[in-house]
Amino acid sequence: MIRGHLQPVAVVDTAPAAPSGPARRWLARAVACLGIMLAMALASMGPALAHASLVRTDPGDGEVTGTAPARFVLTFNESVTPLVLRVIRPDGTAFDLLRQARQGRAIDVEAPKDLGIGTHVLSWRVVSEDGHPVSGAIVFSIGAPSVNTMRTAGDVGDGPVRFAIWATKLGLFIGMFVGIGGAFYRAWISRPERHGLRVIAGAIILGFVAALFSIGLQGLDALGLPFSGRIHRMAWAAGVDSSQGRTAIVVAAALIAAFISLGTPRVSACRALSLVALLAIGAALTMSGHASTAHPQWLMRSAVFLHSVGIAFWTGALTPLFAQLVAESPDAAMSLRRFSRAILFVLVPLVAAGIVLAVVQVQHASALWTTDYGRVLLIKLGLLAAVAGLAAYNRWRLTPQVEHATPGAARRLARVIAVEMVLVLAVLSVVALWRFTPPPRALAAAASEPAYVHIHGPKAMADLTITPGRAGPVEAVITIAAGDFGPLKAKEVTLILTDPVAGIGPLRRPARRSDDGSWRVEGLVMPIAGHWSVRIVILISDFEQVTLEDTIGIRP
Amino acid sequence: MSVYRRIIAPLGACALSILALPVSAHVSLETREAAVAGSYKAVFRVPHGCKGAATIGLRVKIPEGVIGVKPMPKPGWTLATVKGKYAGSYSYYHRSTVSEGVTEVAWSGGALPDDFYDEFVMQVYLTDSLKPGTMLYFPVVQECAGGAVDRWIEIPAEDRKADDYEAPAPGLKLLPRK
Repeated sequence: MIRGHLQPVAVVDTAPAAPSGPARRWLARAVACLGIMLAMALASMGPALAHASLVRTDPGDGEVTGTAPARFVLTFNESVTPLVLRVIRPDGTAFDLLRQARQGRAIDVEAPKDLGIGTHVLSWRVVSEDGHPVSGAIVFSIGAPSVNTMRTAGDVGDGPVRFAIWATKLGLFIGMFVGIGGAFYRAWISRPERHGLRVIAGAIILGFVAALFSIGLQGLDALGLPFSGRIHRMAWAAGVDSSQGRTAIVVAAALIAAFISLGTPRVSACRALSLVALLAIGAALTMSGHASTAHPQWLMRSAVFLHSVGIAFWTGALTPLFAQLVAESPDAAMSLRRFSRAILFVLVPLVAAGIVLAVVQVQHASALWTTDYGRVLLIKLGLLAAVAGLAAYNRWRLTPQVEHATPGAARRLARVIAVEMVLVLAVLSVVALWRFTPPPRALAAAASEPAYVHIHGPKAMADLTITPGRAGPVEAVITIAAGDFGPLKAKEVTLILTDPVAGIGPLRRPARRSDDGSWRVEGLVMPIAGHWSVRIVILISDFEQVTLEDTIGIRP
Repeated sequence: MSVYRRIIAPLGACALSILALPVSAHVSLETREAAVAGSYKAVFRVPHGCKGAATIGLRVKIPEGVIGVKPMPKPGWTLATVKGKYAGSYSYYHRSTVSEGVTEVAWSGGALPDDFYDEFVMQVYLTDSLKPGTMLYFPVVQECAGGAVDRWIEIPAEDRKADDYEAPAPGLKLLPRK
């Protein structure tokens, strides 16, 4: 045994031709170098060559904790040096924990004291001893996963733009309801006379200017430009292209028709023009706005039409009626009688349409006080109750008195109508605020709208749908197909999400195959909004996988 | 001068060669270059298990254009091959045409703890159908105790390096025939 071991050494010793001089020195150097290399290589092998992998975390990934954790502990299979360690709060702000973190098998740091309710991310990046960096993130929630509430009005322009949009909206309302409605009253209810003519003409001009302005403002809003006194040509073009822009154009045309009707002596022409203008209001308002985009569209659009035409008829009558009463026009009593008879037929569809609109838009009664849209509606209803009270008093108390020519009745009626006009103006100012408040129906629809991305590669393609497409608890569904749209059988599908901007390291989730052939990731929580990098790894066979990459936008 | 020649230069050369030593946390090939139309000794180096679990099996997919596969048996491991038809047919040392052969090699039943290192060897022939200047990848599936699996099967895109991937397949650069 011993002899066998020693033999090779003896062979070297008795080598017949030992290298001489420089050759021997060169050989010695080479051997020394090899020796150093070997030692280094051996030293760097074994555990040092291993990948660091995360073995355990506290809190666990996806965990919902009752109270804020006092510490964060990440345990690896080997000693690691932390490079990045931070916790990202539900609002997207980050708290750096790296300073506390020490090298070792476990990274154990004290959690910040001010962690609130909601979903947090602990994002980490470490380097193992072989210099290979590894990163990842764990998502945990305190109390419950965050369900961020959507901003209700924040998505419309800056302050001056918003005020200008509101003012033009009010101007449009006055033009339509006081102007066109007044022109219709003059043509159909009273005789074309001078009373209230100036106010009606003024309202029409105001509405026309507002209509033109609103086109440019819509453009500014659509392009997200600030209001600097001048509206750029691009904004005008964008405004004309928007649905509100088209509404404004139709309204402007209707205002012109109504204005012409004011100066037309022939009754038939006057009536035709004002009727067209009145119907055009209804048509214009069905072309844009929250209500007209709701389903069922035939119902909603009809409701918008009836509601707006009814308002124009009612509101339009107030100005000329007031002027007739104040001027003690001999026609006042006759006009009043005709209006009183007609208003009942207008009021029923007006109110019915209003109820339909409100029910569809608000959906749940609680939205009346929990959303801005609902609050605006409540204020409007409060004002309307006062208007309705005055109108009823006018209709059943004062109107008969005026018809019987009771002394002082006309003046009393005029005074009440004046109050009614002020209240109607207040209603219109409040309603103009709806431009900034998406109705609860739209909010709910927007909230549940999924985020979607289609990724097409030469070998495979995938559709990724994240529902809802916003920060908070979500479900991800992946459908896969071969690159030529044929079916693709996969052994495994893995979803990997990274937010490079917020520095949230890869969230890696295996997908489970469901019965309909799609792959689902359940219990996923998107910690924050932003553009997330998506990687979908499809394992086709043991040795073949396809990776598809793209980004997906997650809303707040 | 003599100090430079005797000590610094050799040390520098030595240091450079150490830096050039591929130190990798991945399953990799020991020899990273080989000429086409010649034989190649593929040494698969397994530096660690799967997330701490011991390696109990290693399966290697033989890429198209690689024939004459002869794996080296390992004590303590069961060696098996999967044979099948190749996509093309290849001439083997100008003697015969080959259109089927080993497509997969599997070592199984062993136990390589996470803390230890081992090598798995096979002799192959790189046919002249392979294009010099390109990379040739051998996808590897590493099977570990407890059902864990690490797949070294990512084939890097032409404009990217293996380092850009988490689990690249071990590869070698093909050189022109000698």
